[in-house]
Amino acid sequence: MYRKAKKQARRKGKWETGRFSAPPQLQPGAPTDLELMQAIQAEDPDAISQLYDRYNGILKALILRVIHNEAEADDLLQEIFMEIWNQAKNFSAQKGKPLGWMVTLARRRAIDGLRKKQAYARAEERLQNEVEQQPDAWVHNATEEEIVLGDTRVLIRKVIKGLPPAQQQAIDLAFFRGMSQREIAAKTNTPLGTVKTRLELGLKKIYDGLKELKDEL
Amino acid sequence: MNFERFQNQSRLYVIGALEPDEVEEFEKARKKFGKKAEDFITECYALHEAFALSLRPAKASSAIKERLMSMVRERK
Repeated sequence: MYRKAKKQARRKGKWETGRFSAPPQLQPGAPTDLELMQAIQAEDPDAISQLYDRYNGILKALILRVIHNEAEADDLLQEIFMEIWNQAKNFSAQKGKPLGWMVTLARRRAIDGLRKKQAYARAEERLQNEVEQQPDAWVHNATEEEIVLGDTRVLIRKVIKGLPPAQQQAIDLAFFRGMSQREIAAKTNTPLGTVKTRLELGLKKIYDGLKELKDEL
Repeated sequence: MNFERFQNQSRLYVIGALEPDEVEEFEKARKKFGKKAEDFITECYALHEAFALSLRPAKASSAIKERLMSMVRERK
């Protein structure tokens, strides 16, 4: 029964209207992300527990992509969920979805952490050793979260992989490494104007591609 | 700055890729376009979600949740 529900959710793969990306498909009767956020605002520990179960994998992957260190990523993940608990009152549904708010917060913390520890050089070395770190190569047993997110991830990756490699690289360095245009220009030995154009074109293509996907589904 | 240019800059803004001199110009345009600008910026933040969702979820240590919940209960 439970397996069947998961299968149906996977096949459905629907994206929420009005936004680009999809949250995990929820079991019937499960609270929405917004309901969980409201419960966290009311200081209900069970709500943060559920939100953690739903999104720890995505946020850990994001942190790991930035800092490339398993133990540090785990510590940061815990700090981020604690910040979600403490800062929940600042979340406003009018400014976006809970997942977007959490991802923004996690990315900022991860990039701050990377800078604070002055770990650029170490991360650089690891990055090269890990063959682009490839989150797809991350081996572990598939969790429910992963199964329900699978279709969404494939679709989003298809959009991103459709970009020329130089645009992908510029966006990767800006988003996952927190680099400025000048830093990207220096790192890739590319004129600043070219970096700017790559970022603008790449982001527009992703934005438009995701919009199209949303319309199709 | 016209709105199309503002849209391009917004996508850079949300990922923190605007240079300091561009931020100043961007903020002026943001004021000029008002609600339309705010709505567009909000929409652009969905890029964050998309980038995160493009990654394969990673498994966190099981001790993390225990520590988190214990801190949450202490703080409550």
